[in-house]
Amino acid sequence: MDLSRMRTYDTEEIVDVVVVGTGAGGGPLLARLAERGLKVVALEAGPNTNADGFTNDEIEAPRINWMSERLSGGDDPTAFGSNNSGFGVGGGTLHWGAFTPRPDARDLRLRTETGEGQDWPIDHAELTRYVVEVERTIGVSGPTPYPWDPEREYLEPPVDRNAAADMMAAGCAQLGIRATDAPAAILSRDRNQPHFGNRRSSQNLGSIHQGERYGTKATTANTYLPAAVADGAEIRADSMVHGIELDAQGRVEAVVYWRDGQDVRQRCANLVLAGGGIETPRLLLNTGLANSSGQVGRNFLAHGGVQVWGRFDEQIRGYRGYPSSLISEDFVRPDGVDFVGGYLLQSLGVMPLNYATSLVRGAGLWGDELMNALDAWRYSAGIGINGECLPSDENRLVLSDELDEWGVPRAVVSFTAGSNETAIEEHATVTMTRILEAAGALETRVLARTAHTLGTCRMSVDPSSGVVDSEGRSHDIPNMWISDNSTFPSSLSANPCLVQQALALRTADLMLR
Amino acid sequence: MTATKGTIFFLPGLGFDAVAATPITAALQSIAADRFRVVGIDLPGHGGSPDAPNGSVAALADRAVEVIEGEADGGPFFLAAHSMGGKVAALVADRILSGDANVFGLAGMVLLAPSPRTPEPMSDDKRAEMLAWAENGLISEDHAVEFVAQNVATSLADDDERAAIAQVRLMSPLAWRRWLDEGSTEDVSNDVGPIDLPVVVLAGEDDDDLGASAQPRLLDGVYPQARFVSLASTGHLLPYERPNEVAAEIVRLWDATVSVSPQLTPEWGRLVASERTAPEARGFLARRAIADDPDYTPRALSVVQLEMLRALADRLVPQPEAPRIDLAARVDDDLAIGRSDGWRNTGQPADVSAYRLGLDDLASLWPDDDRAEQDALIDGIISGELNEFEAGSSSAWSGAMRQHWLDDVRTDLTRVWLSHPASMARVGYDGFATSGPASGPAGYVTVAADERDPWEPAELGSVASDDDDADERDDEHHDHPTLNNARTVEENPAWI
Repeated sequence: MDLSRMRTYDTEEIVDVVVVGTGAGGGPLLARLAERGLKVVALEAGPNTNADGFTNDEIEAPRINWMSERLSGGDDPTAFGSNNSGFGVGGGTLHWGAFTPRPDARDLRLRTETGEGQDWPIDHAELTRYVVEVERTIGVSGPTPYPWDPEREYLEPPVDRNAAADMMAAGCAQLGIRATDAPAAILSRDRNQPHFGNRRSSQNLGSIHQGERYGTKATTANTYLPAAVADGAEIRADSMVHGIELDAQGRVEAVVYWRDGQDVRQRCANLVLAGGGIETPRLLLNTGLANSSGQVGRNFLAHGGVQVWGRFDEQIRGYRGYPSSLISEDFVRPDGVDFVGGYLLQSLGVMPLNYATSLVRGAGLWGDELMNALDAWRYSAGIGINGECLPSDENRLVLSDELDEWGVPRAVVSFTAGSNETAIEEHATVTMTRILEAAGALETRVLARTAHTLGTCRMSVDPSSGVVDSEGRSHDIPNMWISDNSTFPSSLSANPCLVQQALALRTADLMLR
Repeated sequence: MTATKGTIFFLPGLGFDAVAATPITAALQSIAADRFRVVGIDLPGHGGSPDAPNGSVAALADRAVEVIEGEADGGPFFLAAHSMGGKVAALVADRILSGDANVFGLAGMVLLAPSPRTPEPMSDDKRAEMLAWAENGLISEDHAVEFVAQNVATSLADDDERAAIAQVRLMSPLAWRRWLDEGSTEDVSNDVGPIDLPVVVLAGEDDDDLGASAQPRLLDGVYPQARFVSLASTGHLLPYERPNEVAAEIVRLWDATVSVSPQLTPEWGRLVASERTAPEARGFLARRAIADDPDYTPRALSVVQLEMLRALADRLVPQPEAPRIDLAARVDDDLAIGRSDGWRNTGQPADVSAYRLGLDDLASLWPDDDRAEQDALIDGIISGELNEFEAGSSSAWSGAMRQHWLDDVRTDLTRVWLSHPASMARVGYDGFATSGPASGPAGYVTVAADERDPWEPAELGSVASDDDDADERDDEHHDHPTLNNARTVEENPAWI
């Protein structure tokens, strides 16, 4: 994005707020604080990129992802890399899937409802007001009326359904499952985005996870960050924060980051960590701060993301069109099941390397069987879930002895699916298989995977059971806040990025009180 | 070995034009029938073509690229280039491999006594003499005769000599002087990086400055795969002196590279070349399409480890005998540059160490000629059954390391296979071509099953507008998206 005319601040100046990270947690908050006249500086570990810097080539596109190695353990190790944290101005919103279901009220009260999981210490109606604001600011397309929420209104009509969505819709219709056009942060009409300029309507690109050069997909780099810069925020790219300095009263007085081969110290009155569910706890563990509860790094959550693929006679070629253009919320609370929570369904068309990697890692294919499955890809339509994940003490992030290129210990993340996650996966697998068979699939295949990195610095009312309070402020350090998905007490069945942007605005407003 | 059809673009030397390709064309016809189409290029000021806007080598390359863009059919091609044309060809190759040119299919180069990218060695006296020839207009018959004679070891046949002299006389005196003053003395080293292509360099033993003994030094660092061929009793004018040898080397190089490596069909190649594909992505695809070096020297692994990886690759990502991609060599290259997928299993050694340990371990277990036993071994590792099986080779290799490593190997080999443009075409993927013009649709308009946009390869479906029988469901759902607000399945059962 264009940073050529932005205001800059001296490192010795005590700026009002330093924000670490420019994705879904940092971007909206930065814009809000700047809009209200605060002196704000964002530090982004990755580079700044213009539109031509995005490539649809899957092999090279991970330059927008956090590719510095993470270590993964447990029975269901998370595959980090190309589909988790972002790297660059825009953070994870550069590669996000733009799938924007709203959080379900029942998911925020899971513990009250079921006795398991955690409640969110946030009122659903309040959160929804922020969600609506985000939708209108970034441009979310979707169907009105929305079958599972008659009150809801999307200002932009939905984007085109692709062939994979057509197949899922056909199967759902046969089975009496409600399904409709998915809400998505993809424009269905051209839009003049304030302080950014023209964003084009959907180009039916299946390569949005690789970064997108036409502005059809909302990122913080084409929405909140240009607004923040227009209001006087400074964004420093290639700046990896690795230190936090406290004053005698135990308040943050500066952050230390690595840039251009040297350490730089920026003074600040407040600090917001927005590096996401891995980098924020890694920084806190490395500095030893904000962890009187011992909760930093605990309760790592990964959404269930199992997929079922059906092979059809027709060339589906699901790499065309918005990849997840159909949704069903019929299974957020399915009847007659032995698990708590539920899952969303989305139609799937994916890029070839993504699919091939899932065939190899998720289905264990090799040899002729692998090559045959690759040849069948163009005839294949998928359905995937975003499934509730219950917090578990065993699923956690700790530091390794091994240092990364910035001299910071690498993260070791352990994840083992519990019985609830397994039960959801089994139920969803049956559901998705039935839909594909009803749609006429000749054969089906299950691909295991998980998605998202949540919950490692969770918010809590009780300071002993979490890292931040319900506003996002550290229980230990009064001028430090966290605005990213590490604060999620539970995973929700909705994908996290829309919720996170809403939370960021809310935290900003609470900081401004 | 298949005899893939291809094109040879010929860039002549100073004084010569497209006509100079004639002897090589004839020689190719006699040994390879219709396998090759030879396209001679009139560089600026040669063969009656207008002078360039300036005397830089880049201006000559501009014209060559323009001709190649117009004439390339999307299929594989070589650049053949003589003398001055060799220096131009280096720039052309660089532009094609970086994706800057709207061309796809560059597969190799055959260079004939090429001028280097550094200032060409030439005595001041000789330069002054040649400059004087073009001082007052066209080069005279006498000087043209002298020029040709200076550049051959033994006299040409009459017809060839007449043709050569006629070309020299036809050329623009300005272009002649510019090459001597500017082009030949220009240092383009900084504009042209190493060109990692299959390359053959032919040069005469009786050539003064650009001869066989000088070429390896002159081209040092430019063409890492260059093979040098020294021709006895040969001067500088190889297109006329040694057309048969040149043609034989073209065929030999083609058969050793293009014929044994996967190729895009011209239809797919033209799509990569088109404005729909972003230059950077075109460059990625151009470089991945280059045939693997049969003499590849591993950079991260040992030669023995590379051989083990090749044997493993044959089972994990099987390919026909030919054409094939050297997946193992490409994985080794990725290891050497430190390409990472962003994570590894806890306790697993870093990638390069894991590959070395894993391949050594596997070599001690590998049943060489028994595919069924190989299958059982691979399945056993993938399932984890062999995790407790003690490795003999190294105590640093234990537990689940073997299983986790093989997961990485399978992923890496699959990624490398799929990164090749021919693999993309095989699986029906044309999504590289979604960076279209600034106005109008950049991506896809048609996204329905079995249908395609007009610009997509024909095998990917039928064009909706050509299909009078297109059913209404597709029209309803894909041509009028803004009318489909709020369509739920219950409300729109028509297309079940």
